[in-house]
Amino acid sequence: MIALESVSKRFGSKTIVHDLTFTVEKGEIVGFLGPNGAGKTTTMRMIAGFTTASSGRITVAGYDMATQNEQAARKIGYMPEHPPLYDTLGVTQYLRFVAKAKGVARSQAKSELDRVATACRLEAVLDKEIYKLSKGYRQRLGLAQALLGKPDVLLLDEPTAGLDPGQIQETREVIRSFGEHHAVLLSTHILPEVTLICQRVAIISQGRLLAVDSPSGLQRASEQTNRVTLIATAPAEALRSELLSLAGVIAAAIHEVPGNARVLNVECQTDAREGVEAAIARAVAGRWELHRLERQQPTLENIFLRYVSRAAAEAGAQ
Amino acid sequence: MNGVLAVYQKELLSYFKSPIAYFVLAVFLVGTGYFFTYNMFLTGSASMTETFRNMGILLLTVSPLVSMRLFSAEYSGRTMELLMTLPLKPWEIVLGKFLGAVTILLLMTAGTLIDLVPLYLFGNPQTTTIIAGYIGFLLLGMASIAVGQFFSALTRNQIVAALITFPVLLSFWFVGHLQSFQTSYAMRALFGYLSFALHFADFVQGLIRSEGVIFFLIVSTIALTMNAGYLQWRR
Repeated sequence: MIALESVSKRFGSKTIVHDLTFTVEKGEIVGFLGPNGAGKTTTMRMIAGFTTASSGRITVAGYDMATQNEQAARKIGYMPEHPPLYDTLGVTQYLRFVAKAKGVARSQAKSELDRVATACRLEAVLDKEIYKLSKGYRQRLGLAQALLGKPDVLLLDEPTAGLDPGQIQETREVIRSFGEHHAVLLSTHILPEVTLICQRVAIISQGRLLAVDSPSGLQRASEQTNRVTLIATAPAEALRSELLSLAGVIAAAIHEVPGNARVLNVECQTDAREGVEAAIARAVAGRWELHRLERQQPTLENIFLRYVSRAAAEAGAQ
Repeated sequence: MNGVLAVYQKELLSYFKSPIAYFVLAVFLVGTGYFFTYNMFLTGSASMTETFRNMGILLLTVSPLVSMRLFSAEYSGRTMELLMTLPLKPWEIVLGKFLGAVTILLLMTAGTLIDLVPLYLFGNPQTTTIIAGYIGFLLLGMASIAVGQFFSALTRNQIVAALITFPVLLSFWFVGHLQSFQTSYAMRALFGYLSFALHFADFVQGLIRSEGVIFFLIVSTIALTMNAGYLQWRR
Protein backbone atom coordinates (compact mmCIF):
# COMPACT_ATOMS: atom_id res chain seq x y z
CA MET A 1 0.00 0.00 0.00
CA ILE A 2 2.88 2.32 0.78
CA ALA A 3 6.10 1.96 -1.17
CA LEU A 4 9.20 4.13 -0.97
CA GLU A 5 11.94 3.66 -3.54
CA SER A 6 15.24 5.43 -2.80
CA VAL A 7 13.47 8.49 -1.50
CA SER A 8 15.58 11.49 -0.55
CA LYS A 9 14.69 14.94 0.68
CA ARG A 10 17.01 17.89 0.52
CA PHE A 11 16.46 21.37 1.85
CA GLY A 12 19.03 23.54 0.11
CA SER A 13 22.35 21.77 0.50
CA LYS A 14 21.17 19.85 3.53
CA THR A 15 19.94 16.32 3.03
CA ILE A 16 17.35 15.40 5.62
CA VAL A 17 16.39 11.99 4.28
CA HIS A 18 18.82 9.71 2.45
CA ASP A 19 17.76 7.06 0.03
CA LEU A 20 14.89 5.46 1.97
CA THR A 21 13.41 2.24 0.63
CA PHE A 22 10.70 0.28 2.40
CA THR A 23 7.11 -0.82 2.02
CA VAL A 24 4.03 -1.16 4.19
CA GLU A 25 1.57 -3.84 3.13
CA LYS A 26 -2.14 -4.05 3.69
CA GLY A 27 -3.05 -5.49 7.10
CA GLU A 28 0.29 -4.50 8.53
CA ILE A 29 1.36 -2.00 11.17
CA VAL A 30 4.90 -0.81 10.65
CA GLY A 31 6.69 1.13 13.34
CA PHE A 32 8.87 3.97 12.20
CA LEU A 33 11.41 4.33 14.91
CA GLY A 34 14.09 6.91 15.39
CA PRO A 35 15.39 9.61 17.69
CA ASN A 36 14.06 13.15 17.42
CA GLY A 37 15.36 14.87 14.31
CA ALA A 38 16.01 11.59 12.47
CA GLY A 39 13.77 12.52 9.57
CA LYS A 40 10.64 10.67 10.64
CA THR A 41 8.31 13.63 10.32
CA THR A 42 9.81 14.71 7.00
CA THR A 43 9.29 11.19 5.66
CA MET A 44 5.72 11.09 6.94
CA ARG A 45 5.05 14.43 5.31
CA MET A 46 6.39 13.20 2.00
CA ILE A 47 4.19 10.11 2.11
CA ALA A 48 1.19 12.23 3.08
CA GLY A 49 1.87 14.60 0.20
CA PHE A 50 2.52 17.69 2.30
CA THR A 51 5.98 17.97 0.77
CA THR A 52 7.44 16.30 -2.27
CA ALA A 53 10.50 14.07 -2.37
CA SER A 54 13.62 15.60 -3.91
CA SER A 55 14.36 12.29 -5.60
CA GLY A 56 13.05 8.76 -5.57
CA ARG A 57 9.50 7.56 -5.85
CA ILE A 58 6.66 7.24 -3.34
CA THR A 59 3.53 5.35 -4.23
CA VAL A 60 0.48 5.11 -2.00
CA ALA A 61 -2.34 2.71 -2.92
CA GLY A 62 -0.79 2.51 -6.37
CA TYR A 63 -0.73 6.27 -6.95
CA ASP A 64 2.49 8.14 -7.54
CA MET A 65 2.69 10.94 -4.97
CA ALA A 66 4.59 13.17 -7.40
CA THR A 67 1.88 13.20 -10.04
CA GLN A 68 -1.29 11.72 -8.56
CA ASN A 69 -1.15 13.04 -5.01
CA GLU A 70 -4.78 14.06 -5.13
CA GLN A 71 -6.11 10.59 -5.93
CA ALA A 72 -3.73 9.24 -3.30
CA ALA A 73 -4.98 11.78 -0.75
CA ARG A 74 -8.40 10.10 -0.84
CA LYS A 75 -6.76 6.90 0.39
CA ILE A 76 -4.68 8.47 3.15
CA GLY A 77 -5.57 9.32 6.70
CA TYR A 78 -2.81 11.45 8.16
CA MET A 79 -2.30 12.50 11.72
CA PRO A 80 0.57 15.01 11.86
CA GLU A 81 2.83 15.35 14.86
CA HIS A 82 0.84 18.35 16.07
CA PRO A 83 -2.88 17.65 15.81
CA PRO A 84 -4.05 20.04 13.07
CA LEU A 85 -7.06 21.51 14.85
CA TYR A 86 -8.93 24.76 14.32
CA ASP A 87 -9.29 26.30 17.76
CA THR A 88 -12.08 28.54 16.55
CA LEU A 89 -14.32 25.61 15.60
CA GLY A 90 -16.35 23.16 17.65
CA VAL A 91 -15.43 19.47 17.63
CA THR A 92 -18.38 18.44 15.46
CA GLN A 93 -17.93 21.36 13.09
CA TYR A 94 -14.32 20.38 12.65
CA LEU A 95 -15.06 16.74 11.94
CA ARG A 96 -17.79 17.77 9.50
CA PHE A 97 -15.35 19.97 7.66
CA VAL A 98 -12.79 17.20 7.33
CA ALA A 99 -15.45 14.68 6.27
CA LYS A 100 -16.72 17.04 3.62
CA ALA A 101 -13.23 17.83 2.34
CA LYS A 102 -12.58 14.09 2.12
CA GLY A 103 -15.68 13.73 0.00
CA VAL A 104 -17.71 11.72 2.50
CA ALA A 105 -21.28 11.76 1.16
CA ARG A 106 -23.72 13.89 3.12
CA SER A 107 -25.92 10.85 3.82
CA GLN A 108 -23.03 8.96 5.39
CA ALA A 109 -21.44 11.87 7.21
CA LYS A 110 -23.46 11.37 10.39
CA SER A 111 -22.68 7.66 10.77
CA GLU A 112 -19.05 8.27 9.82
CA LEU A 113 -18.75 10.93 12.52
CA ASP A 114 -20.33 8.62 15.07
CA ARG A 115 -17.98 5.82 14.08
CA VAL A 116 -14.77 7.81 14.57
CA ALA A 117 -16.13 9.55 17.68
CA THR A 118 -16.80 6.15 19.25
CA ALA A 119 -13.49 4.69 18.13
CA CYS A 120 -11.58 7.62 19.61
CA ARG A 121 -13.85 8.03 22.67
CA LEU A 122 -14.84 11.56 21.78
CA GLU A 123 -18.55 11.26 22.58
CA ALA A 124 -18.24 13.43 25.69
CA VAL A 125 -16.73 16.42 23.90
CA LEU A 126 -18.64 16.50 20.60
CA ASP A 127 -20.42 19.71 21.60
CA LYS A 128 -17.31 21.42 22.94
CA GLU A 129 -15.15 24.08 21.40
CA ILE A 130 -11.76 22.77 20.33
CA TYR A 131 -9.76 25.38 22.25
CA LYS A 132 -11.28 24.04 25.48
CA LEU A 133 -10.08 20.47 24.94
CA SER A 134 -7.38 18.86 27.04
CA LYS A 135 -4.19 17.62 25.45
CA GLY A 136 -5.47 14.04 25.43
CA TYR A 137 -8.69 14.97 23.66
CA ARG A 138 -6.83 17.11 21.14
CA GLN A 139 -4.63 14.15 20.32
CA ARG A 140 -7.63 11.87 19.93
CA LEU A 141 -9.45 14.38 17.77
CA GLY A 142 -6.36 14.49 15.58
CA LEU A 143 -6.60 10.71 15.26
CA ALA A 144 -10.34 10.86 14.62
CA GLN A 145 -9.97 13.17 11.65
CA ALA A 146 -7.40 10.80 10.17
CA LEU A 147 -9.85 7.88 10.48
CA LEU A 148 -12.67 9.77 8.74
CA GLY A 149 -13.58 8.42 5.34
CA LYS A 150 -12.13 4.94 6.02
CA PRO A 151 -8.76 5.53 4.36
CA ASP A 152 -6.75 2.51 3.18
CA VAL A 153 -3.54 3.95 4.54
CA LEU A 154 -3.05 5.49 7.93
CA LEU A 155 -0.02 7.65 8.70
CA LEU A 156 0.37 8.44 12.37
CA ASP A 157 3.12 10.73 13.56
CA GLU A 158 3.65 10.01 17.26
CA PRO A 159 -0.03 9.37 17.96
CA THR A 160 0.35 8.66 21.67
CA ALA A 161 2.55 11.63 22.54
CA GLY A 162 1.17 13.51 25.51
CA LEU A 163 -1.42 10.95 26.51
CA ASP A 164 -1.79 9.42 29.94
CA PRO A 165 -1.23 5.66 30.31
CA GLY A 166 -4.92 4.79 30.07
CA GLN A 167 -5.37 6.85 26.94
CA ILE A 168 -2.22 5.37 25.41
CA GLN A 169 -3.71 1.92 25.93
CA GLU A 170 -6.97 2.94 24.26
CA THR A 171 -5.25 4.63 21.36
CA ARG A 172 -3.10 1.57 20.74
CA GLU A 173 -6.25 -0.54 20.70
CA VAL A 174 -7.76 1.72 18.06
CA ILE A 175 -4.63 1.55 15.94
CA ARG A 176 -4.33 -2.20 16.36
CA SER A 177 -7.91 -2.81 15.27
CA PHE A 178 -7.42 -0.50 12.34
CA GLY A 179 -4.23 -2.25 11.31
CA GLU A 180 -6.01 -5.52 10.68
CA HIS A 181 -7.49 -4.32 7.42
CA HIS A 182 -5.36 -1.35 6.49
CA ALA A 183 -1.77 -0.31 6.08
CA VAL A 184 -0.51 1.68 9.05
CA LEU A 185 2.77 3.51 9.37
CA LEU A 186 3.33 4.68 12.90
CA SER A 187 6.20 6.91 13.84
CA THR A 188 7.35 6.89 17.41
CA HIS A 189 10.33 7.05 19.67
CA ILE A 190 8.61 4.95 22.30
CA LEU A 191 10.11 1.48 21.96
CA PRO A 192 7.57 -0.63 23.87
CA GLU A 193 4.90 0.79 21.60
CA VAL A 194 6.62 -0.76 18.64
CA THR A 195 7.01 -4.18 20.25
CA LEU A 196 3.39 -4.11 21.35
CA ILE A 197 1.56 -3.26 18.17
CA CYS A 198 3.88 -3.39 15.18
CA GLN A 199 4.56 -6.37 12.94
CA ARG A 200 7.65 -4.73 11.54
CA VAL A 201 9.96 -1.92 12.49
CA ALA A 202 11.90 0.48 10.33
CA ILE A 203 14.72 2.15 12.22
CA ILE A 204 15.88 5.49 10.98
CA SER A 205 18.64 7.75 12.20
CA GLN A 206 20.07 10.90 10.66
CA GLY A 207 17.84 10.38 7.68
CA ARG A 208 19.14 6.89 6.90
CA LEU A 209 17.31 3.63 7.19
CA LEU A 210 19.30 1.37 9.49
CA ALA A 211 17.16 -1.75 9.54
CA VAL A 212 13.73 -3.09 8.68
CA ASP A 213 12.66 -6.24 10.52
CA SER A 214 10.16 -7.65 12.95
CA PRO A 215 10.75 -6.64 16.56
CA SER A 216 11.81 -10.21 17.42
CA GLY A 217 13.90 -10.48 14.27
CA LEU A 218 15.80 -7.40 15.31
CA GLN A 219 16.45 -8.96 18.67
CA ARG A 220 17.74 -12.18 17.12
CA ALA A 221 19.87 -10.27 14.68
CA SER A 222 21.54 -8.20 17.32
CA GLU A 223 24.92 -9.54 18.39
CA GLN A 224 24.51 -7.99 21.76
CA THR A 225 26.45 -9.72 24.49
CA ASN A 226 23.87 -11.42 26.59
CA ARG A 227 23.37 -10.81 30.24
CA VAL A 228 22.49 -13.30 32.92
CA THR A 229 21.56 -12.05 36.36
CA LEU A 230 21.44 -14.10 39.52
CA ILE A 231 20.84 -13.67 43.21
CA ALA A 232 22.69 -15.95 45.55
CA THR A 233 23.88 -16.24 49.15
CA ALA A 234 27.63 -16.71 48.86
CA PRO A 235 31.02 -15.12 49.66
CA ALA A 236 31.63 -12.47 47.01
CA GLU A 237 35.19 -13.25 45.91
CA ALA A 238 34.72 -16.99 45.76
CA LEU A 239 31.54 -16.56 43.73
CA ARG A 240 33.24 -14.21 41.32
CA SER A 241 36.16 -16.49 40.61
CA GLU A 242 33.84 -19.46 40.29
CA LEU A 243 31.69 -17.64 37.72
CA LEU A 244 34.63 -16.33 35.74
CA SER A 245 36.08 -19.82 35.49
CA LEU A 246 33.00 -20.94 33.56
CA ALA A 247 33.19 -21.05 29.79
CA GLY A 248 31.19 -18.24 28.22
CA VAL A 249 31.23 -15.84 31.14
CA ILE A 250 33.18 -12.71 30.30
CA ALA A 251 32.54 -10.53 33.28
CA ALA A 252 30.66 -10.59 36.55
CA ALA A 253 29.63 -7.49 38.46
CA ILE A 254 28.73 -8.26 42.07
CA HIS A 255 26.57 -6.02 44.24
CA GLU A 256 25.54 -6.63 47.78
CA VAL A 257 21.82 -6.63 48.33
CA PRO A 258 21.19 -3.73 50.74
CA GLY A 259 20.49 -4.88 54.26
CA ASN A 260 21.94 -8.33 53.87
CA ALA A 261 25.65 -8.52 53.17
CA ARG A 262 25.56 -12.24 52.46
CA VAL A 263 23.01 -12.04 49.62
CA LEU A 264 24.62 -11.00 46.36
CA ASN A 265 23.16 -9.63 43.18
CA VAL A 266 25.34 -10.63 40.23
CA GLU A 267 25.28 -9.48 36.64
CA CYS A 268 27.20 -11.74 34.26
CA GLN A 269 28.15 -10.77 30.72
CA THR A 270 28.31 -13.74 28.43
CA ASP A 271 29.20 -14.24 24.80
CA ALA A 272 27.61 -17.67 24.63
CA ARG A 273 24.12 -17.79 23.18
CA GLU A 274 22.85 -20.72 25.22
CA GLY A 275 23.81 -23.17 27.89
CA VAL A 276 25.40 -20.61 30.16
CA GLU A 277 22.49 -20.50 32.59
CA ALA A 278 22.66 -24.21 33.17
CA ALA A 279 26.42 -24.08 33.81
CA ILE A 280 26.03 -21.19 36.24
CA ALA A 281 23.18 -22.93 38.01
CA ARG A 282 25.22 -26.11 38.48
CA ALA A 283 28.32 -24.26 39.68
CA VAL A 284 26.54 -22.04 42.16
CA ALA A 285 23.85 -24.35 43.48
CA GLY A 286 26.43 -27.05 44.21
CA ARG A 287 28.31 -24.93 46.76
CA TRP A 288 26.03 -22.08 47.82
CA GLU A 289 22.41 -21.07 47.88
CA LEU A 290 20.94 -19.85 44.53
CA HIS A 291 17.74 -17.75 44.82
CA ARG A 292 17.15 -16.59 41.32
CA LEU A 293 18.66 -16.91 37.88
CA GLU A 294 17.50 -15.31 34.68
CA ARG A 295 18.66 -14.40 31.23
CA GLN A 296 18.00 -10.79 30.26
CA GLN A 297 16.44 -10.45 26.83
CA PRO A 298 18.23 -7.85 24.78
CA THR A 299 15.77 -4.98 24.79
CA LEU A 300 14.78 -3.09 21.72
CA GLU A 301 16.16 -0.08 23.47
CA ASN A 302 19.64 -1.53 23.40
CA ILE A 303 19.29 -2.71 19.84
CA PHE A 304 18.10 0.69 18.79
CA LEU A 305 20.90 2.50 20.57
CA ARG A 306 23.39 0.08 19.06
CA TYR A 307 22.15 0.74 15.53
CA VAL A 308 22.10 4.45 16.08
CA SER A 309 25.52 4.66 17.67
CA ARG A 310 27.00 2.39 15.01
CA ALA A 311 25.58 4.63 12.31
CA ALA A 312 26.95 7.68 14.08
CA ALA A 313 30.37 6.05 14.35
CA GLU A 314 30.38 5.15 10.67
CA ALA A 315 29.37 8.67 9.76
CA GLY A 316 32.20 9.98 11.95
CA ALA A 317 34.73 7.64 10.32
CA GLN A 318 33.92 8.85 6.83
CA MET B 1 -16.60 21.85 -6.09
CA ASN B 2 -17.38 20.02 -2.86
CA GLY B 3 -13.90 20.93 -1.68
CA VAL B 4 -14.50 24.62 -2.33
CA LEU B 5 -17.73 24.43 -0.37
CA ALA B 6 -16.06 22.64 2.55
CA VAL B 7 -13.32 25.26 2.79
CA TYR B 8 -15.82 28.08 2.31
CA GLN B 9 -18.04 26.91 5.18
CA LYS B 10 -15.06 26.46 7.45
CA GLU B 11 -13.82 29.98 6.67
CA LEU B 12 -17.19 31.54 7.40
CA LEU B 13 -17.44 29.68 10.70
CA SER B 14 -13.94 30.80 11.62
CA TYR B 15 -14.69 34.43 10.78
CA PHE B 16 -17.73 34.54 12.98
CA LYS B 17 -16.19 32.63 15.83
CA SER B 18 -13.38 35.14 16.12
CA PRO B 19 -13.88 38.84 16.86
CA ILE B 20 -12.28 39.94 13.57
CA ALA B 21 -15.41 39.85 11.42
CA TYR B 22 -17.45 41.79 13.97
CA PHE B 23 -14.68 44.30 14.49
CA VAL B 24 -14.17 44.89 10.77
CA LEU B 25 -17.91 45.19 10.15
CA ALA B 26 -18.30 47.63 13.04
CA VAL B 27 -15.35 49.82 12.04
CA PHE B 28 -16.41 49.88 8.44
CA LEU B 29 -20.05 50.67 9.11
CA VAL B 30 -19.33 53.33 11.69
CA GLY B 31 -16.81 54.91 9.30
CA THR B 32 -19.17 54.77 6.35
CA GLY B 33 -22.03 56.11 8.45
CA TYR B 34 -19.89 59.04 9.53
CA PHE B 35 -18.79 59.88 5.97
CA PHE B 36 -22.33 59.52 4.71
CA THR B 37 -23.76 61.91 7.30
CA TYR B 38 -20.91 64.36 6.83
CA ASN B 39 -21.22 64.37 3.05
CA MET B 40 -24.98 64.70 3.16
CA PHE B 41 -24.85 67.82 5.27
CA LEU B 42 -21.86 69.25 3.41
CA THR B 43 -23.16 68.86 -0.12
CA GLY B 44 -26.85 68.82 0.58
CA SER B 45 -27.40 66.60 -2.43
CA ALA B 46 -29.04 63.18 -2.43
CA SER B 47 -26.09 61.28 -3.85
CA MET B 48 -23.72 58.55 -2.74
CA THR B 49 -20.83 59.76 -4.89
CA GLU B 50 -18.72 61.31 -2.12
CA THR B 51 -19.57 58.50 0.27
CA PHE B 52 -18.46 55.89 -2.25
CA ARG B 53 -15.10 57.65 -2.61
CA ASN B 54 -14.62 57.50 1.14
CA MET B 55 -15.81 53.90 1.27
CA GLY B 56 -13.14 53.02 -1.29
CA ILE B 57 -10.35 54.40 0.90
CA LEU B 58 -11.88 52.87 4.01
CA LEU B 59 -12.02 49.52 2.26
CA LEU B 60 -8.28 49.68 1.55
CA THR B 61 -7.62 49.95 5.26
CA VAL B 62 -10.03 47.26 6.47
CA SER B 63 -9.69 44.66 3.70
CA PRO B 64 -6.19 43.64 4.88
CA LEU B 65 -7.80 42.86 8.23
CA VAL B 66 -10.25 40.55 6.50
CA SER B 67 -7.66 38.79 4.34
CA MET B 68 -4.70 38.62 6.75
CA ARG B 69 -5.79 35.48 8.58
CA LEU B 70 -6.73 33.42 5.51
CA PHE B 71 -3.43 31.55 5.25
CA SER B 72 -1.27 32.99 8.05
CA ALA B 73 -3.60 31.48 10.64
CA GLU B 74 -3.31 28.08 8.93
CA TYR B 75 0.48 28.23 9.21
CA SER B 76 0.59 29.44 12.79
CA GLY B 77 -2.15 27.01 13.86
CA ARG B 78 -0.28 24.15 12.13
CA THR B 79 -3.42 23.28 10.19
CA MET B 80 -1.81 23.82 6.81
CA GLU B 81 -0.56 20.26 7.02
CA LEU B 82 -4.14 19.05 7.18
CA LEU B 83 -5.38 21.34 4.45
CA MET B 84 -2.63 20.33 2.03
CA THR B 85 -2.99 16.60 2.66
CA LEU B 86 -6.78 16.48 2.36
CA PRO B 87 -7.99 15.59 -1.13
CA LEU B 88 -8.24 19.27 -2.06
CA LYS B 89 -6.64 20.93 -5.06
CA PRO B 90 -4.75 24.15 -4.28
CA TRP B 91 -7.24 26.18 -6.33
CA GLU B 92 -10.11 24.73 -4.32
CA ILE B 93 -8.49 25.90 -1.10
CA VAL B 94 -7.74 29.32 -2.56
CA LEU B 95 -11.22 29.77 -4.00
CA GLY B 96 -13.01 28.56 -0.88
CA LYS B 97 -11.08 31.01 1.25
CA PHE B 98 -11.58 33.82 -1.21
CA LEU B 99 -15.34 33.28 -1.28
CA GLY B 100 -15.40 33.23 2.51
CA ALA B 101 -13.70 36.62 2.68
CA VAL B 102 -15.89 37.97 -0.13
CA THR B 103 -18.92 37.00 1.94
CA ILE B 104 -17.64 39.30 4.68
CA LEU B 105 -17.24 41.99 2.02
CA LEU B 106 -20.85 41.42 0.95
CA LEU B 107 -22.02 41.80 4.54
CA MET B 108 -20.04 45.03 4.85
CA THR B 109 -21.65 46.26 1.66
CA ALA B 110 -25.12 45.19 2.75
CA GLY B 111 -24.66 47.13 5.96
CA THR B 112 -24.25 50.38 4.05
CA LEU B 113 -27.57 49.91 2.30
CA ILE B 114 -29.22 51.54 5.30
CA ASP B 115 -27.72 54.83 4.12
CA LEU B 116 -30.03 54.64 1.14
CA VAL B 117 -33.13 54.87 3.32
CA PRO B 118 -32.82 58.61 4.14
CA LEU B 119 -31.51 59.20 0.63
CA TYR B 120 -34.69 57.87 -0.95
CA LEU B 121 -36.95 59.25 1.80
CA PHE B 122 -35.81 62.85 1.54
CA GLY B 123 -34.34 63.09 -1.94
CA ASN B 124 -34.45 61.74 -5.41
CA PRO B 125 -31.15 59.94 -5.98
CA GLN B 126 -30.07 58.38 -9.27
CA THR B 127 -30.55 54.66 -8.80
CA THR B 128 -28.32 53.62 -11.71
CA THR B 129 -25.41 55.68 -10.37
CA ILE B 130 -25.78 54.07 -6.98
CA ILE B 131 -25.89 50.58 -8.48
CA ALA B 132 -22.79 51.32 -10.53
CA GLY B 133 -21.05 52.57 -7.40
CA TYR B 134 -21.88 49.40 -5.50
CA ILE B 135 -20.69 47.20 -8.34
CA GLY B 136 -17.43 49.14 -8.43
CA PHE B 137 -17.08 48.86 -4.67
CA LEU B 138 -17.55 45.08 -4.75
CA LEU B 139 -15.06 44.66 -7.59
CA LEU B 140 -12.53 46.85 -5.77
CA GLY B 141 -13.11 44.79 -2.64
CA MET B 142 -12.63 41.49 -4.44
CA ALA B 143 -9.35 42.63 -5.95
CA SER B 144 -8.14 43.93 -2.57
CA ILE B 145 -9.01 40.68 -0.82
CA ALA B 146 -7.37 38.58 -3.53
CA VAL B 147 -4.16 40.59 -3.20
CA GLY B 148 -4.28 40.38 0.60
CA GLN B 149 -4.96 36.66 0.47
CA PHE B 150 -1.85 36.13 -1.63
CA PHE B 151 0.32 38.00 0.87
CA SER B 152 -1.28 36.07 3.70
CA ALA B 153 0.04 32.89 2.07
CA LEU B 154 3.60 34.23 2.30
CA THR B 155 3.84 34.62 6.07
CA ARG B 156 2.74 32.85 9.21
CA ASN B 157 2.25 36.17 10.95
CA GLN B 158 -1.15 37.77 10.40
CA ILE B 159 0.07 41.25 11.33
CA VAL B 160 2.91 41.01 8.82
CA ALA B 161 0.43 39.90 6.15
CA ALA B 162 -1.74 42.94 6.84
CA LEU B 163 1.27 45.26 7.00
CA ILE B 164 2.47 44.12 3.57
CA THR B 165 -0.97 44.16 2.01
CA PHE B 166 -1.85 47.67 3.09
CA PRO B 167 0.97 49.58 1.33
CA VAL B 168 0.57 47.39 -1.77
CA LEU B 169 -3.12 48.26 -2.01
CA LEU B 170 -2.29 51.88 -1.30
CA SER B 171 0.21 51.87 -4.18
CA PHE B 172 -2.43 50.44 -6.50
CA TRP B 173 -4.75 53.19 -5.34
CA PHE B 174 -2.37 56.10 -5.83
CA VAL B 175 -0.35 54.85 -8.80
CA GLY B 176 -2.52 57.01 -11.07
CA HIS B 177 -0.94 60.12 -9.59
CA LEU B 178 2.36 59.15 -11.18
CA GLN B 179 0.79 59.87 -14.57
CA SER B 180 1.47 63.58 -14.17
CA PHE B 181 5.21 63.00 -13.99
CA GLN B 182 5.43 60.89 -17.16
CA THR B 183 6.17 62.26 -20.59
CA SER B 184 5.87 58.96 -22.45
CA TYR B 185 2.34 58.09 -23.45
CA ALA B 186 2.84 54.40 -22.75
CA MET B 187 3.88 55.03 -19.15
CA ARG B 188 0.96 57.37 -18.58
CA ALA B 189 -1.40 54.77 -19.97
CA LEU B 190 0.13 52.05 -17.85
CA PHE B 191 -0.05 53.99 -14.59
CA GLY B 192 -3.58 55.02 -15.44
CA TYR B 193 -4.57 51.45 -16.16
CA LEU B 194 -3.09 50.09 -12.94
CA SER B 195 -4.84 52.62 -10.75
CA PHE B 196 -7.53 51.24 -8.47
CA ALA B 197 -8.67 54.82 -7.83
CA LEU B 198 -9.18 55.78 -11.46
CA HIS B 199 -11.14 52.66 -12.32
CA PHE B 200 -13.18 53.00 -9.17
CA ALA B 201 -13.86 56.67 -9.95
CA ASP B 202 -15.63 55.65 -13.16
CA PHE B 203 -18.01 53.41 -11.24
CA VAL B 204 -18.66 56.11 -8.67
CA GLN B 205 -19.59 58.48 -11.49
CA GLY B 206 -22.14 55.95 -12.59
CA LEU B 207 -20.12 54.44 -15.43
CA ILE B 208 -19.87 50.68 -15.63
CA ARG B 209 -17.07 50.32 -18.14
CA SER B 210 -16.08 46.87 -19.30
CA GLU B 211 -12.46 48.01 -19.02
CA GLY B 212 -12.92 48.65 -15.30
CA VAL B 213 -14.83 45.43 -14.67
CA ILE B 214 -12.23 43.41 -16.54
CA PHE B 215 -9.37 45.20 -14.76
CA PHE B 216 -10.56 44.30 -11.27
CA LEU B 217 -11.38 40.75 -12.35
CA ILE B 218 -7.93 40.37 -13.89
CA VAL B 219 -6.22 41.63 -10.73
CA SER B 220 -8.27 39.16 -8.65
CA THR B 221 -7.56 36.28 -11.02
CA ILE B 222 -3.83 36.97 -11.16
CA ALA B 223 -3.58 37.24 -7.37
CA LEU B 224 -5.58 34.04 -6.81
CA THR B 225 -3.62 32.15 -9.47
CA MET B 226 -0.35 33.25 -7.91
CA ASN B 227 -1.75 32.14 -4.58
CA ALA B 228 -2.63 28.65 -5.83
CA GLY B 229 0.67 28.44 -7.71
CA TYR B 230 2.54 29.34 -4.55
CA LEU B 231 0.79 26.59 -2.56
CA GLN B 232 1.68 24.08 -5.25
CA TRP B 233 5.28 25.27 -5.37
CA ARG B 234 5.58 25.14 -1.59
CA ARG B 235 5.00 21.37 -1.45
